[in-house]
Amino acid sequence: MDFKKEYRIKLVSKEFLNEDTCYLGFECPEIASSAIPGQFVNISAGTVFLKRPFGIASVNKENGTFNIGVKVVGKGTAEISGFEPGILVDCLGPLGNGFDFDGYDNVILTGGGTGVFPINFAYETLTSLGKNVTVCEGFRNASQVILNKPSYILTTDCGDCGIKGTVIAGLDTIDISDPAKTLICCVGPIPMMKAVSTWASEKGMNCQVSMEQRMACGAGICLCCTVKVKDEGPDGFKNVRCCKDGPVFDSREVVW
Amino acid sequence: MSSSLSVKVGNVSLKSPIILASGTCNFGRELAEYYDLSILGGISSKGLTIKPRAGNPGVRVAECDSGMLNSVGLQNPGVDYFIENDLDFMKDSGAAVIVNVAGHSYEDYIDMITTLDPYKDKIDALEINLSCPNVKEGCMTIGSDPAAIRYITSKLRSLTDLPLWIKLTPNVTDIKATALAAQEGGADAVVLINTLMGMRINIKTRRPVLTNNTGGYSGPAVKPVAIRMVAECSQVLDIPIIGCGGISDYQDVVEFMIAGASAVEVGTACLIHPALPVKITDDLKKYCEENGLNLKELTGSLQRW
Repeated sequence: MDFKKEYRIKLVSKEFLNEDTCYLGFECPEIASSAIPGQFVNISAGTVFLKRPFGIASVNKENGTFNIGVKVVGKGTAEISGFEPGILVDCLGPLGNGFDFDGYDNVILTGGGTGVFPINFAYETLTSLGKNVTVCEGFRNASQVILNKPSYILTTDCGDCGIKGTVIAGLDTIDISDPAKTLICCVGPIPMMKAVSTWASEKGMNCQVSMEQRMACGAGICLCCTVKVKDEGPDGFKNVRCCKDGPVFDSREVVW
Repeated sequence: MSSSLSVKVGNVSLKSPIILASGTCNFGRELAEYYDLSILGGISSKGLTIKPRAGNPGVRVAECDSGMLNSVGLQNPGVDYFIENDLDFMKDSGAAVIVNVAGHSYEDYIDMITTLDPYKDKIDALEINLSCPNVKEGCMTIGSDPAAIRYITSKLRSLTDLPLWIKLTPNVTDIKATALAAQEGGADAVVLINTLMGMRINIKTRRPVLTNNTGGYSGPAVKPVAIRMVAECSQVLDIPIIGCGGISDYQDVVEFMIAGASAVEVGTACLIHPALPVKITDDLKKYCEENGLNLKELTGSLQRW
């Protein structure tokens, strides 16, 4: 039997996308060849105790590399964004369940914040599969816009670029001809994913969301990173593990 | 078969002193994706209760220096579900099956033992959790009071022949008093220690990081506290001690055994490196070879100043 491994991987590329967000490339052929969009890696973060989870932003199977995006929000992400190419880090991955695109002709990808990283991986995968993909991303303002492509629908809260408003304003511009064959995938802050989930259900579309929670192990053993999902039991809900049972869930299962 | 790593905890023979600590390995299934669990001395199940528990809401983990706080709150599927779905998996793993038993009242613990006792062929020991700091009743409340420990241990003793390992809390003034109470109640061993109660605060919101406000501190930071408690109890107890708290490498195992532990539990370190017990086991074998000893010779070999 092939066991899952913890890899010691090398940082091979680094670029800053804006003042507090960088894009890191790591060498790990095993992860590059097996990861699917929506999955994540858990990476050791210098002197802090726990690893840090990051959605995979891109893979290059030929070079055996993958990318993550790191926005500095605390000590761990500050240390990781300070890493220079050549450094070795411990890494578990690919972890969790990714998006399931099977059975859909059209996929709408939407999100914001660091959610644009897994969306980037999903976009690259879907276009290589020849699926019809529409991307709609929302940011606070123009200075926050990262990994954007000209074909994407862009929204900003203040309207200094793209459509003024949330991603819902952008999604409303999409002509959805066959909702039953269209999937929407959302990765972003909870209020955004909740709003997109409601929007999708009003349109009669299935929606998959990638949840985020404070995480310890990433491997499903500590039960720290729970997500509330609907359940037929007496409580009406149950706590499942974001890392192992998710992070991608059908939005109708989630108790928002 | 006896090897340099084999140890005994009372009547329970373990092929290695390494046991996966309760609450850091679920029921072993997820870690079986990373390595062959049969190398382990044992696996201590997630803390189980009579009824399923959803656990605590909100944020359950707060990182600290050299460790973490958790406030999972004994989320578990309930003992009936465990017997139906997980017990056979644990038995088939090849590691000794330690079932961790939690409760909110004396009656809960009694119900748990009467429920589990009929499955004794599949269970090597019961670890009685009198020490979880993350639930409002039972557990640590009972485990802080020597008279209550003595009472519940003797009550459970009368209900089963399975080895009873009492897992104690470090959140007491005198660990010897609680450990002796477990011994007097008829325990076969004590497990030292569960987590230390702690708190972290978000200085922007002035709210605790954990939605439960407090949590249990584990990781390398608590190791010296655990070793001190093992060493203290080792001087007064006749029953074996299973050491637990911050073990991250083979030297830690050796240190705990010198302090008086017959076996050890590894927990939080496995949350960071899931396959760590493989390395610790290999390193312990090497250590025994290089020093020409059997690991069990170390137990209680502390030379005090």
